[in-house]
Amino acid sequence: MITKPMPACPLAEPAKIAMDRPTILFVDDEERILRSLRMLFAANYRVLMTTNGHEALEILQRERVHVLVSDQRMPIMTGVDLLRQARDVSPSSMRLLLTGYSDMEAIIGSINDGEVYRYISKPWSADEFRRTVGEAMEIAVSLWDPQPIKIVAPPNNESLEILLLDQSPDIAVAIRTLLDENFPGAYHLDWATSQSEAMAILERGKVSIIISEINVDGEDVTPFLKTLKHFHAQIVTIVLTSFRDTSLLMELINQGQIHRFLPKPVRKTLTARSIRSGIERHREILQRPQLTQRHRVEPPRVQVSHSMIHRIRGMLQSLSIGKSNGIKI
Amino acid sequence: MGNLVDLSLPIEPITPNHLIGTVGDIFLQERYERLLSLPVVSDGRPVGVISRHNMQKIFMTRFGREIQGNKPVAAFMNPLPLLVSVDQSMEEASHFVTRNIAFPITEDFILVKDGQYHGIGSVIDLLRGMEERIVEQNLSLSKALSLLKASQSQIIQSEKMASLGQMVAGVAHEINTPLGYVKNNLEMAGEAFKSLQNLGDAHDSLLADLQSGNASDDDVHQQLNRIEILNEQFQTVYPKSEMDALFKDTLYGLQQISEIVVNLKNFSRLDQAAVDNVNINQCIDSALLIAKNVVKHKAEVERNFGTLPAVRCAPSQINQVILNLITNAAHAIDRPDGRIVIRTQADQRHVHIVVTDNGKGIPPELVGKIFDPFFTTKPVGQGTGLGLSIAFKIVQDHCGSIRVKSRPGLGTAFCVSLPVHVSAPVEGKSS
Repeated sequence: MITKPMPACPLAEPAKIAMDRPTILFVDDEERILRSLRMLFAANYRVLMTTNGHEALEILQRERVHVLVSDQRMPIMTGVDLLRQARDVSPSSMRLLLTGYSDMEAIIGSINDGEVYRYISKPWSADEFRRTVGEAMEIAVSLWDPQPIKIVAPPNNESLEILLLDQSPDIAVAIRTLLDENFPGAYHLDWATSQSEAMAILERGKVSIIISEINVDGEDVTPFLKTLKHFHAQIVTIVLTSFRDTSLLMELINQGQIHRFLPKPVRKTLTARSIRSGIERHREILQRPQLTQRHRVEPPRVQVSHSMIHRIRGMLQSLSIGKSNGIKI
Repeated sequence: MGNLVDLSLPIEPITPNHLIGTVGDIFLQERYERLLSLPVVSDGRPVGVISRHNMQKIFMTRFGREIQGNKPVAAFMNPLPLLVSVDQSMEEASHFVTRNIAFPITEDFILVKDGQYHGIGSVIDLLRGMEERIVEQNLSLSKALSLLKASQSQIIQSEKMASLGQMVAGVAHEINTPLGYVKNNLEMAGEAFKSLQNLGDAHDSLLADLQSGNASDDDVHQQLNRIEILNEQFQTVYPKSEMDALFKDTLYGLQQISEIVVNLKNFSRLDQAAVDNVNINQCIDSALLIAKNVVKHKAEVERNFGTLPAVRCAPSQINQVILNLITNAAHAIDRPDGRIVIRTQADQRHVHIVVTDNGKGIPPELVGKIFDPFFTTKPVGQGTGLGLSIAFKIVQDHCGSIRVKSRPGLGTAFCVSLPVHVSAPVEGKSS
């Protein structure tokens, strides 16, 4: 296996010019993949590449990298490890994961720890790859902010609306107990046992976080979650489920931008931590609504009924901050 | 005839006060012809038996009947008859009777219910009953055996499918990487070709203009300019050195993919003879390629191959054994400096394959169990516990041996020895 570092950039550019150009960093332990990708993107961006995760982190620290694309299975550092550290080193970089044969743990890690923007499956289609990277680049360039935003709690300390979509009363009890322990008096929990109940609750109030199963009452609610994200990116989605299917998870990221994926049974600390970070994400977006761009989704590929789209879109009027995020359906 | 009750002959018993002479007459009656003895019952309880054999002794003595004929039967009977409760099973009764009956058999046994006389049973009927019982049991045993065999082959099949699935996933990953850049390169080559075609078209139209002779200088100049721009664009987007590398990489990737396919074919041997003279070193190499995805990020592999004579064996089975040992070794490794050493050597009669890892080892109390079917230390769903038991069976079918040595914390070594000469598996086994 080749692990020697590659020259970071084929052309030695003066640093100043380099900083201004949209920059993409590829990390893969196979040099031929790197060469191939460089050729695909060199015409449009400054392309950096390395076979080694540690070197990738150094580059991220040193230079402005708008988009980071990493392979998952690498000997020195896995893609998930790299994405997780990249989040700290360069939070404004958009993170993409290149996956071939992927195991469940890696995918869950890339969602929860890596906050990945997109998965790209090997072998990819050149056009789709270009389009995905193009979108990520546009978002990163327009929102680039080296300063992490300070999140301020809303002044009137209004309570947080949390919607739980799950059939099981046990789960409802577990979540309520957990919320009482961790956020006493600071939340309002609505429990829906079907998609239509959930929709009615969403129409009524200002839901900040939705905690949802994937299958409710025999119905697959992923199209609902995807459509919801499409129109209301400020609502943070946490999926709590017993389903374990990698392709479904990849879809939930690419088309649903879920914030966290929690496998059942409910694990208290993990769930509480996820809700806490969901609250922060929600407040961050309220403060800077343009940040929703970072969680833009691919248009759902499943057929969604028109009435559902209308209802979810209709919620725009009833939601005070539900500004269009500029995506056409 | 399944129960003791069915064996019970409801013979009217005699009393202890019956006279020998009368008993003699009873024995002569036709309906008692089959009986060896008569039950003696007092107040409903059996108190003895009097056998035909004893009667004969009396009557064959000179004046026996005259002297003894008026005496009660109680003086001559066996006061300790064999009593069998009708509630017992046929097996229990048969066990009891065969252990306690006097030889030669001169008496029947008495069946009782709650201590009360129920009837008389003959030993021969009991034997017949038992025989029927055994025939029945044999039938259900052979049914159970065939069921067991069917489910065993089903389990072996599912183990095969499980390891096949693992293998396919690994191979898919191996193919995916070269496939990734080959596809991308080809798509880019297609785009490059389009640019070249545009350039070619520009050349053609210039050539046509020049040949027609009526093109203005301006026109020609413009077209030359356009060609220059197109050419420059092409050179920037597709630099020659990079295009060369791209084609080289593409061919390399295809070569990788075809190697994997050839190796899969070698490994499965679907298109070759089931039994062949095989170089075991080659088997190991093909198993290593198949296991590459499992081993790659866990351990360095050291191949230490000796010169081996060809071994007559079923290569697809031996491949399966070797693959199992290699993946087990990789799974056992839980340290960053993982190491798997595969050594082969031959002596006069055997070829030895030794797979050693520096993994976590097997606790001494479990070493004895590792070849047992269904024994596994892996979590549910990750191992069937059949890999090594199947390996054991395959090696056994080849008249070989498989041994293990393990030290917890240091590692494990498996040694498979196959005889060089008579090593073909016994026909029909573990197909």
